[in-house]
Amino acid sequence: MAGHLLEVNNIDIFHGEAQAVWGVSFHVDRENIIALVGANGAGKSTILNTISSVIHPSGGEILFSGKPIVRRKPEEVVAMGISHVPEGRRLFSRLTVLENLELGAYPSNTRPYIKESLERAFNLFPALKERVSQRAGTLSGGEQQMLAIARALMARPYLLMLDEPSLGLAPILVRLLFEIIEALKKEGVTILLVEQNVHQTLEIADYAYVLQTGHMKMEGRAEELLNNSEFQQAFLGMIG
Amino acid sequence: MFGFPSFSIFLQMFLNGILLGCMYGVAAIGLSLIFGCMEIVFIAQGAVMILAAYCVYWIVVLSSIDPLFGFLLILPIFIAFGWAMYMGLFRWVAKAGKNPSLLLAFGLMVLFENLMSVVWSPDVRTVKTWYSTATLSFAEINLSVTRLIVAAVALIATSLVFLFLKKTMMGKAVRAASEDMHAASILGISPVGVSAVTFAVGIALAGVAGTAVCITYPFDPFFGLTFSLKALVAVAFGGLGSVAGALLGGVILGVLESLSSYMIGAGWADAVSYAAFLIVLIFRPEGILGTVSTEKV
Repeated sequence: MAGHLLEVNNIDIFHGEAQAVWGVSFHVDRENIIALVGANGAGKSTILNTISSVIHPSGGEILFSGKPIVRRKPEEVVAMGISHVPEGRRLFSRLTVLENLELGAYPSNTRPYIKESLERAFNLFPALKERVSQRAGTLSGGEQQMLAIARALMARPYLLMLDEPSLGLAPILVRLLFEIIEALKKEGVTILLVEQNVHQTLEIADYAYVLQTGHMKMEGRAEELLNNSEFQQAFLGMIG
Repeated sequence: MFGFPSFSIFLQMFLNGILLGCMYGVAAIGLSLIFGCMEIVFIAQGAVMILAAYCVYWIVVLSSIDPLFGFLLILPIFIAFGWAMYMGLFRWVAKAGKNPSLLLAFGLMVLFENLMSVVWSPDVRTVKTWYSTATLSFAEINLSVTRLIVAAVALIATSLVFLFLKKTMMGKAVRAASEDMHAASILGISPVGVSAVTFAVGIALAGVAGTAVCITYPFDPFFGLTFSLKALVAVAFGGLGSVAGALLGGVILGVLESLSSYMIGAGWADAVSYAAFLIVLIFRPEGILGTVSTEKV
């Protein structure tokens, strides 16, 4: 168990001609909640998409359990144990709740466990069990977010990456969501959490990285950042 | 030119239309599936149908077996052909965008048409079977046995595709990818894999529809474009993204053609169906039956 679960070293990412991420490094340790915070356009989603191998960095390396994952296919990255809940949930709205969940277990190494994984999903999100045959597009916003997380968990990931899960949710649902994220950590899932909801994120995170327009600005233990005056000025005053 | 048919003739025309429409429906399902993965109208669908018609014709001429058995022989070849067409061509061209893919489909159509002219000559061909002129009669209704067989084959093919899409993991992945390729790939569904499978199924359905054409109509190498257009009209009626919708769209088109050619005049069938096509596109672009929500949260 030596070494970090995920190690991102000095990556540069381009969107066409424009550089979006500049020499960013960070790491994620097992059974932690690591937060990646920053304003819109800081490059947070871009970094998650790069870890998922949907886009490729032009420089730097990404190691998962010590193995390089840059330039692998997205399906290989999922099979290695990284699941990604994308921004905006991206559910298959015309498919049923059950079909969405089943597709979460699409990689061949997770398919044999589909029954257990479904049971686990319904234990975590009992509301979904009543809606298995309903189309995903007919769920409420909160239920859709739960389904998106449950779908990602179907691949039995070691690392779960959540991109703005609280976006568009009522405050009471945001609280529930963060409780679920903490519960997942206790189950042994490592979490990489991208959020604009900085204050609440830092309350559950172990360690946080602060991105600004594609550069790593600051990092530290969550409670240290919450008390850091520079950080308070930059983020909590504006957003928190 | 306006005829008021008796009820039994009306019923006869209506049933004929349903049987004819099943064939359109199968072509439409293929078109709709390929649209789902490439987001282009696969304009060569009709040419591929006629290619299947020639293959079946050839087998019948050479071995004098029934065209339906001939179809079973070409089915695996067409599945492989669809798969190879994606892996060899569309996979690479799609990276350059939709317009190059559309041009490629158009180019394939012209290529197939001319290859067929060279190989089989541009003469009109017909496939005769023992049931070519047979009819089933009850009450005052006469139904062509050929069309009944075509409709039965169409329904079997549709049911198999429906089961594939609803019950298998690969089928569910095809539906998921047609809705959101990015989300599908994040879950570990290979875009190349599902697209190749989708193409294979779409081309296999063109094979089914082409077999239906070859036992129903005289055909020549350039007969296919009409069917691409009819399939497109059927898809527009039924709404994109639904197998049942595409089949029903085909049936609606068949009934519309059958009734209008009897009640208004034979030459009017196409005019009426394309007019209906435009009306549907203007007032219900999601299809008559379409409930497809295009909203993306």
